[in-house]
Amino acid sequence: MSDNDLSRRRYLKGASAAGAASIVGLTGCLGLGGGGSDPVELLHGWSSGDGSAAFEAMHEGFQEAHDTETDVNAIGGSGNTTLNARISTRLGNENPPSSWAEWPGQNLTQFTSEDLLADIEEDVWGENDMKEAYLSGPQEAAQVDGQYVAVPTNIHRINNLFFNKSVVESANIDPASLETPADLVEAAATVEEETDAIGFAQAMTNPWTTLELWACVFLGEHGEEAYTSFIEGDGDRDAVQSSWETVVELSEYFNDDAGTINFQQANQYILDGDAAFFDNGDWAAQQYISQEDFAFEEDWGHVAFPGTAGMYSLNMDSWVYPANAPNPEGTKQWLRYLGTKDAQVRFNTRKGSIPPRSDVSTEEFGPFQTSQMGDFQESEAQPPSIAHGLATTPEVLTNLKNAVSNNFSVGSMDSASSTADAFMNAF
Amino acid sequence: MFDRIHDAVGTGKGDDEQRVDARTDGGTATVSDEDDGGFFDSVSRDFLGSLPFWLPPFVLMGFFVYGAIGWNFALSLVNVQQFNDPNYAQLDFEQYARAFGDPTFIQAAQNTAVLLVAFTLACLVAGLLVAILIDRHIRFENTFRTVYLLPFSLSFVVTAQFWLWLYNYQSGLVNVVTQAVGLGRYQWISNPQLALGAVVFALIWQFSGYAMVVYLAGLRAIPDEHYEAARVDGASTLKMYWRVIVPQLKGATISASVVLMVFALKAFDFLYALAGSYFPPNGTDILATMMVRQAFSAGQRSYAAAIGIMLFLLALAVIAPYLTYQYRRGEL
Repeated sequence: MSDNDLSRRRYLKGASAAGAASIVGLTGCLGLGGGGSDPVELLHGWSSGDGSAAFEAMHEGFQEAHDTETDVNAIGGSGNTTLNARISTRLGNENPPSSWAEWPGQNLTQFTSEDLLADIEEDVWGENDMKEAYLSGPQEAAQVDGQYVAVPTNIHRINNLFFNKSVVESANIDPASLETPADLVEAAATVEEETDAIGFAQAMTNPWTTLELWACVFLGEHGEEAYTSFIEGDGDRDAVQSSWETVVELSEYFNDDAGTINFQQANQYILDGDAAFFDNGDWAAQQYISQEDFAFEEDWGHVAFPGTAGMYSLNMDSWVYPANAPNPEGTKQWLRYLGTKDAQVRFNTRKGSIPPRSDVSTEEFGPFQTSQMGDFQESEAQPPSIAHGLATTPEVLTNLKNAVSNNFSVGSMDSASSTADAFMNAF
Repeated sequence: MFDRIHDAVGTGKGDDEQRVDARTDGGTATVSDEDDGGFFDSVSRDFLGSLPFWLPPFVLMGFFVYGAIGWNFALSLVNVQQFNDPNYAQLDFEQYARAFGDPTFIQAAQNTAVLLVAFTLACLVAGLLVAILIDRHIRFENTFRTVYLLPFSLSFVVTAQFWLWLYNYQSGLVNVVTQAVGLGRYQWISNPQLALGAVVFALIWQFSGYAMVVYLAGLRAIPDEHYEAARVDGASTLKMYWRVIVPQLKGATISASVVLMVFALKAFDFLYALAGSYFPPNGTDILATMMVRQAFSAGQRSYAAAIGIMLFLLALAVIAPYLTYQYRRGEL
């Protein structure tokens, strides 16, 4: 037998041993893991930019106050897409993390209907005066059927109209005087007549931006009651269509490249003075604030979306308390911390949102956030955002996004009617 | 394969003719002359002895691939939404029936079919032309080959963003070119009539390099005598390729098209990166994107599983003829 054969035989022996070992290893994996105190595993979607800075600051605050071990995973992806998929898989495998960032409201019913979340009314909401300090909108969104299962950390406003001050001034428009979405269409037309700028900046690679715009138009044209009926599945088809028609009219003044850009790129048109108006959540303002030489009230401004003054359309982030998760005591400690003023100041000053506690002082917030906090306190209604899952179940939201993506087309009145049909069928 | 087993058994019977045909690659297990025991004894000994070698991969593949497919099929027969537990006591084909009544599914299936056929054919044609050009012993041959193959090595995340820029209405290179030649500008991605074509074109750009490499290998295997003989018989270059060379590339065409078609069925990543969500541009929704959307966005897990099984059957339908062809030629 030659050396060659010998080494080959050895190699094969090694390979078979490795194969056998991998089987043994797998069996090990399938078994139950060891006990002991697991770290508090936290998943969220803020992997970059201001979201990441905001989470880091809040997490540091928690570690300064408690010595509970944490295991944090940031899972990026636009609009929580990747995070949701991961959560869905983890829960499907009955292996939930200790807590994760989730949109509250109707979005939580997908978990509560299978008893995947547990009650924290006593252990978390009973501490730090949370029940007294939280405003009613966020407090309601934290509950499903009267049971507290989440802690909201921040409030974003959806019904915003941002504008570039020098562009609207050169077109002789006073944004505060726009009373209805139809006025906005007219103003956008005036901008394009009077200046070289784009009337209305919009991004359309992803359907949520257009869905959000429609929701603002709908609120502005038909009011909160019609909006509530719509999200309850009892919408008026004619009203839905007429708002889509307004969006189509407005789309005549969109940037031509709307179909190939995302909302940050669309917002850049406002920053560069190439567009007059922009509608998005108030995270868009963070892009202006972080830009040098672009000051609030001087270079850019903000009004409520025309027709929605007095309303504060809500989008929130919250952290949930899953049943059967590792380290429940540490998790409750984390959730209690999120309900404190310290956590909410740390997070919201960096995120561009406002705290859900009403007793947080405005001192540490910039002028834009201070004005938003004032608007929020005075708001008469806080309709939940459709595009961010607060208003509907995930299935309905998917149908609505699908309807926008498959029907809406810039400048086409026919598409207003077909999108309206698809919206009515979404529930 | 059965021929080989037959050969092996034949050797055991002491057929001298067969034994001459010894293999150098270790080959199939054979029964040696010194064995006094019967055929089955030695088979069982071989079977036991070979267990450590084939059992681990067999178990791993069986469990993680075929087991998962089987489980997916079971899941498609129940009605699981998001996190509720499947009730395996009640199995039916409701999810499949639902698919055929769902206009979104029909549209996605049509788009998948168009993508499959248009993309595969165009890729093969483009790859063949480039391969023939490179095979003409041009200067900088290797450089050109690398240039054409490079897009294939890029990630979809990169190429999707790249094509979003190229298709930009205002500043995109594609519109700059169409404008320059007098065709005007187009909404390549947001016009539903153009979107699928634009996506197919971008995928062809990325994958024709692969077809080129496969064809180039095929062309290199054709002896120079065939070219010379065609020339001596007075064939023009075009005729020579059409009548003599291309027909010899049958094998290359089949293997390249199987790979391309199977890819086209699953072109999820490119569309996902293009839209940044599970909602691809209007007119480009395919079964793969619809399946992921139903599973992870709408929480319709059983429906998604049913779509997955149908995609799997389509992929099998693509591969089965190829496997049959290979088997008949004794190459399997």
